[in-house]
Amino acid sequence: MSFIPEEQIKKKLFKGVHDVPGEELYTSGHRTCQGCESALVMRQFVKAAGPRTVATGSTGCMYVANTSYMTTPWVVPWMHTQLGAGGSSAVGMAAGLRAMMRKGKITNEKINVISFCGDIGGGDMGLSGISGALQTDYDLLIILYDNESAANTDIQATGLTTWGAQTTFTPTGTKHRVMQKRWKKNVAAMLAVGHPTVKYVATACATFPPLDFMNKVTKALETGGPTFIHSLDPCPKGWDYHPRYSHEVGELAIKSGIFPLYEIANGVVTYNYDARKNRIPVKEYLLNQGRFAHFTNAETDFVQSMVDEMWEEWELPGILPVKSSLKVST
Amino acid sequence: MVASLEPLIKGIEVNYRGIFQKNLAKRIGGDIVYVAHLGGKTGFSNGRYSDAPERNGIPCKYFAYVSSVSEEELEAICGAKMDISQADVSVVLDDAMVKGVEPWGWHGIRPINEKVREGGTLLVVSKKKPEELLKFVARQPFNYNIAILPGDSSFAGLWVYKDDLTDVRVLGAIAAIDPDIIHIQQVEEYVAKKYGANRVQAVRDAYNSLIIKEVTPQEGIDWPHQIPELPKWHEFKEGIAVPAVERRFSLGPRGQSRNLHFKRGTTKSLRPVVRFDLCVKCTLCWIECPDECFDPTPDGLYDVHYEYCTGCGKCAEVCPVKECIIMVDELRFDNDASPWKAYKENPVSYIKWAEEKKGQERIIHQVVTGRGLEVKTVENPIPPKVKE
Amino acid sequence: MAKEAVLESVYEKEELLTGCQAVSHAVRLADVDVIAAYPIRPYTEVMDYISKLIADGKFDAEYIVADSEHSQFEIVKHAASVGARAFAGSSGTGWMYGFEAIVVTATDRLPVVAMVGNRALDDPGAFGVEHNDALSVRDLGWLLVWAATAQEALDTTLIAYRVAEDPKVAMPCAVALDGAFLTHSQHMVKVPTVQAAKRFLPPYNLGSRRLHPDNPISIAPQVNEDWLMEIRRQNFEATKRAKGIIYQAYKEFNEVFKTNYEQPFFEEYMTEDAEAVLLGLGTISMPAKSAVRRLREKGKKVGFVRLRWFRPFPTEELRSCLSRFKGIGVVDRDLSYGSPDLGGVVFNEVRSCLYPLEEHPRVVNFIAGLGGREISIDDAVMMYEQSLRATKEPSDARVTWVGVRE
Repeated sequence: MSFIPEEQIKKKLFKGVHDVPGEELYTSGHRTCQGCESALVMRQFVKAAGPRTVATGSTGCMYVANTSYMTTPWVVPWMHTQLGAGGSSAVGMAAGLRAMMRKGKITNEKINVISFCGDIGGGDMGLSGISGALQTDYDLLIILYDNESAANTDIQATGLTTWGAQTTFTPTGTKHRVMQKRWKKNVAAMLAVGHPTVKYVATACATFPPLDFMNKVTKALETGGPTFIHSLDPCPKGWDYHPRYSHEVGELAIKSGIFPLYEIANGVVTYNYDARKNRIPVKEYLLNQGRFAHFTNAETDFVQSMVDEMWEEWELPGILPVKSSLKVST
Repeated sequence: MVASLEPLIKGIEVNYRGIFQKNLAKRIGGDIVYVAHLGGKTGFSNGRYSDAPERNGIPCKYFAYVSSVSEEELEAICGAKMDISQADVSVVLDDAMVKGVEPWGWHGIRPINEKVREGGTLLVVSKKKPEELLKFVARQPFNYNIAILPGDSSFAGLWVYKDDLTDVRVLGAIAAIDPDIIHIQQVEEYVAKKYGANRVQAVRDAYNSLIIKEVTPQEGIDWPHQIPELPKWHEFKEGIAVPAVERRFSLGPRGQSRNLHFKRGTTKSLRPVVRFDLCVKCTLCWIECPDECFDPTPDGLYDVHYEYCTGCGKCAEVCPVKECIIMVDELRFDNDASPWKAYKENPVSYIKWAEEKKGQERIIHQVVTGRGLEVKTVENPIPPKVKE
Repeated sequence: MAKEAVLESVYEKEELLTGCQAVSHAVRLADVDVIAAYPIRPYTEVMDYISKLIADGKFDAEYIVADSEHSQFEIVKHAASVGARAFAGSSGTGWMYGFEAIVVTATDRLPVVAMVGNRALDDPGAFGVEHNDALSVRDLGWLLVWAATAQEALDTTLIAYRVAEDPKVAMPCAVALDGAFLTHSQHMVKVPTVQAAKRFLPPYNLGSRRLHPDNPISIAPQVNEDWLMEIRRQNFEATKRAKGIIYQAYKEFNEVFKTNYEQPFFEEYMTEDAEAVLLGLGTISMPAKSAVRRLREKGKKVGFVRLRWFRPFPTEELRSCLSRFKGIGVVDRDLSYGSPDLGGVVFNEVRSCLYPLEEHPRVVNFIAGLGGREISIDDAVMMYEQSLRATKEPSDARVTWVGVRE
């Protein structure tokens, strides 16, 4: 893994929307919901990566919805992989390509290896395999598209579902208003902290700020080695808002600070939206969604307090949940 | 022996929009069985399994069978079904579905009345007249009926039940169509007990106001969509590998290659109408479209490929220009031709046409879907920016 | 050319090797591209040895120590999908941990070769041999073969690639070696030259199913009830075709290496005029063959049939072979709780294979050697005697546990 100068990577980024290629490599004709943000993640990552790409998709919405048999929306080669194989499928492809290129069995060229998985695949079941992949020296990118539920089985809670959200596994009831009692896993930071040799880890949202996600894909692929991007994808079906507002919900998540937007490139943290300085009340994000329709002030206040703590008390705000007050004394 | 019982069995299907009408369709399907049970009949209902996992807007189906034969016989004939084979009543909860339904790939766009049997009824919740709907419906070789239950499509989110009486009104309408399925007295008795006496009037109104018209083999259209044939096991590639979409891109309408065997157009109830003359070329409609339906054109505009548009409305929402992209009732259109081409051929007549289609009513979806729709009226449309 | 000269030209050396090491050599000779390892006894040594070959520059491959068996088998599956020849292996519950990936490797029709060092399934933890781990893939499309010697382990691994990768088959293959008795015991093995191995084994070519930007395809889109039966049928036909390819592969192997594998699917030992035979997998042959020799000395007409390929099952061949005998004792180093007659897996398959015969040989079953317990020559003699008795006494017990304390 050689160090790629930042200047060199910068040249490849989209400066404005008009730089984005018109060609689609993931194209119309997929069985996704109206206003599906994860579909946009698919479309954008492959736009940034270009046609010399091979991709795997773990079981989840972006598998089942995208491809219904004998048809596909993919222009680039794509293969299904198992729910917990986001990391290992990328390693397999990258290793196979590298071995064959070295031995002269195929042409030696740069082929992007990208694997995507949902929150249950990447954040729960597949964590071990992704960790394994991030320890290798292969050039590969893992994208966790996080719609905060097992959306493909009609909305069940995962380790990445927002605290308190209604899902079919965590319905609201007369005795227990909140059944989803787990706080969202901090996946990107966990992987960044746990894998010191990884050169690029980022969080993202397909629509906010514009071009941010696509440029992060470019940075990851250009930086090389194993890289990871966690995108938050508003899901009109499971989050329960009208599909036409998908872009807005993502923006609110970032502006309220509930989903920190940052990248860690060669160990340097950049906040792509600085929620330390600028935060709108988390209520504005939550109450736009039917999945929080059962919230009273008690619940929104609790979520707000957790978000505030994340930005005001964490040693590395939004990233590292170690509080300054707990610093090891000398 | 079993076959001879078939005429005694009534089949009802409920065509609905995925997620938005999921709870509604399930409730109607279940209530039919309850009411039939009240009338001493047997019945059961089920969702079409292949629709799951449902997606917002995708055409889905719930179905029910009721009969005076024993439950055992009924299950012997109609149990373990993935889909209904023939329907005495086909309910359509969103009238835009009369343009055809394509729930998944390699299925083809099928006529909404595909399952309606001879003498059966297509029951549509709509504010349109039967003649207006029949402009889109496939011709059948036999007589059947079309019935209109006046009303808007009832849309709600996954976690909310939108209580707008559509459920009980549909029951009243089915009773009016065929008392052998469910009888109005039993519907009223059931609704009063289950949902409250104040709802019985809605049942009775639906029962009385139902418009039923007989449809002859001369009415309807020759179905324009091909139904794909399923290949035999040795006729397709082994190893579950299917060819990717061919790589192709050029500026202009249809310049981008797309999945030929699964178009998503039947998902939409509304379509975006574009005033190209107002476009500021910001790219947002194109870049934010999750269905890749916009084709960049040589003059920097974005054409819409309606065959693939799912009608999510994002483009209209992100468009920074007032009245440039407006979502319009899908049933106001009879083709999916390129709007950019029409605009280029004659800008003035295109804008005139677009404004006519848009009309003055703007349908606004509330943020939380459970709260449904709002309609605003635009008094003064923006004049064209091109010269005559 | 004299036979010695031929041997010299196809074999590089004769070396004392364990079964695991012999398989490692086959992997090297097959010029495998991607290997994924994860530790579990007793298969582990195959990876120890491969990694040393790579470390010493004797073998060039991508070698990945995975985070789990699931990842291990996903890695090789996806390596195979981009056109790389791949190898993995496991034992016991490790094999079961990788099971999801193992299942889809077959349905994706990717010809991965895996070694199974047979081991009892937990709990309690046990290292000794049982065959239930490998047998678990018998309904999944995997080809499944047992070796009985280190030489056969090497040969069979090369043959496994030849069969699995044949475009008419395109199915993964598991090569099973009995834990300890074959994985760890050392035998003199003739190691082929790279050139000879290359002559036998053509390069892996996935053709138009290769996942590569030059060959844009989508693999395994979601299906509904409209498709799966036809896809199952395609895979079913492929496993049917595998039988013919196995015959062809052994013929080619014999030609290149001057070996004498006659009937690829099973080995018959002193069966010519036998009245009763034992039938079993893998190293069961060791005590069984000794017992045959001893009993033959005493004039008893007994023989041994060692089944190599369990999938595809050699139905016609085995039926015609076994129809010559009056009594058959199937030795199962596995269990199938609650199965017909509470017998082992092999027993019930063999019995089902014989069912169409008008006159059945009498088939009895021995559950023996579980969890690595030795099957002694005396045990084998006892099983032969019981099988001989069974030809005359129909009341004899159908299933007998051998060597259990009772």
